[in-house]
Amino acid sequence: MSAFKGRQINPKTFHKSQLKFYAVLIPLAIFMGLPIVYIFNHAFKPIDELFAFPPRFFVEKPTWQNFRNLFESTSLGATPMSRYLFNSIVVSLVVVVLTIIVATMAGYVLSKKQFRMKKALTEINTIALMFVATAVAIPRYFVIEQLGLINTFWVHILPALAMPVGLFLIKQFIDQIPDEMLEAAIMDGANDFQIYIRVILPMIKPAIATVAILAFQATWNNVEISDVFINNESLRTFAFYMSTLATKGNAVAGQGVSAAASLIMFIPNLVIFIFLQKQVMDTMAHSGIK
Amino acid sequence: MIKKIMKNPENKGYLFILPWLIGFVTLTIYPILYSFYLSFFDVTITTEGIQTESVGIENYQSAMTSDIEFINRLIEYVREILISVPLIVIISLLIALLLNQNIRFKGVFRTIFFLPVIISSGPVLDKLIGLDIATLNMVETNALYEMIAGMDNILASSFVYIIDNLIILLWFSGVQILIFNSALQKVDKKIYEAASIDGASSWESFWKITLPSLFPMIMVNIVYTTVMYSVSSLSTIVGHIQSNMFQLETGFGYASSLSWIYFILIVLVLITFTGIIGLFNRKYK
Repeated sequence: MSAFKGRQINPKTFHKSQLKFYAVLIPLAIFMGLPIVYIFNHAFKPIDELFAFPPRFFVEKPTWQNFRNLFESTSLGATPMSRYLFNSIVVSLVVVVLTIIVATMAGYVLSKKQFRMKKALTEINTIALMFVATAVAIPRYFVIEQLGLINTFWVHILPALAMPVGLFLIKQFIDQIPDEMLEAAIMDGANDFQIYIRVILPMIKPAIATVAILAFQATWNNVEISDVFINNESLRTFAFYMSTLATKGNAVAGQGVSAAASLIMFIPNLVIFIFLQKQVMDTMAHSGIK
Repeated sequence: MIKKIMKNPENKGYLFILPWLIGFVTLTIYPILYSFYLSFFDVTITTEGIQTESVGIENYQSAMTSDIEFINRLIEYVREILISVPLIVIISLLIALLLNQNIRFKGVFRTIFFLPVIISSGPVLDKLIGLDIATLNMVETNALYEMIAGMDNILASSFVYIIDNLIILLWFSGVQILIFNSALQKVDKKIYEAASIDGASSWESFWKITLPSLFPMIMVNIVYTTVMYSVSSLSTIVGHIQSNMFQLETGFGYASSLSWIYFILIVLVLITFTGIIGLFNRKYK
């Protein structure tokens, strides 16, 4: 198996020796791909197939009816759909960018600086990961209320920023950067900010992309915040709107509408994912990171 | 004091941590501690705010003695996590290794295997499990499966659990594959070349080069998997805590005590895992 010596991402030729890998990878890849195929199929199912028992995986007579119902019910509300969409896009983008900035800055200090509380802080962050989020919902509500964040745009953004998972992943990646690299940068006269921008950030791009995907996921799909902390329709997000559509109108058509809505909700996830994972691949292929 | 610290330009770097620290303390640490405080109370939420009545450790007592559903789920959870976490980590390590081989369409495969990242955290997974396509139906009618499922011991039930949840386990492994993959690419290729010149087989290179250099990431993945698995919305215990939160006779105080018990259990599980890996790691050095 001389495969370890390869440097190219994709070999240009196909060889019989690769067959054994395909034998494992292809079946697994099919399993992995199933949910995506399912979401697309489900959204185009006519009513009788949606309620078929046992449930079917593939659509037999695809129809646009679910989407038509969806757009019909959107015209019922007082607030236009574009408003929710706009809110969601702004909130998601701000959260992704700020999460990355906050987490990478903190990760840099926690990983590469020496100070008294360093170890304790890291441990507390890891431990905080393990606490069930729903159990802090009520205390968190009081905090947000006291900060005067109820019914503001900030309530979408601020609670999402201190994402313990993000810091956890990013700190691990910064730990992998050799100290000699930073020392060399300091020798060349770089200050903390320059080290952060020029050395740390380029070297942890895979982690940044991962955290970006996770942060986007968490924000884009979040219904809870719009539900609990906001009673002003024009500040609520697209995810919340989509979740209300299924319950509006008649219950039978609701199933189809919710299937169509979940496809529409899912597509941005897929786009962000494909875009960012390509970033990860490209940096790994071209940079000389060891 | 702050002025004195700021005078030294070298210290400015520490300020980088401030935004995170402020957010973390107010929105994560404080609520967690507050829920610990409330777990010793009987909490009722009225329109005028919350009313608390101290009950001492009664919440914990009734959780551990009379809440049979909770205890059963805890036992089930420990069994599941001891099987799932090592399995997810090993599966993702194997997939990451395969994805690092020299094969055609590697890019396409990588994309597909990272897909779970956007599925397992979304609402899609719930629906799929509800539809029963997450289990391997064809296996369940297999004679061998039926025979093993019929046996009544820990090994057999573990086996049944793995088969029943195989696809879910695969879907939980997206981020882990990504982490292993980037770690694998950081291993210096020249070391492998040197090893193969010295006559090491690829099997030996795996155990002597790849695995030791992956240890930090194995640790990361174990922590990540344990956490994600434990606090995911699919967890039956999270569901139990949630349903108790809004029940009149139990309420938020009781739910807080349940989540603290669960939390301590997760920490214990994690200490067990990291302890085992730590021992293993020391043996290598």
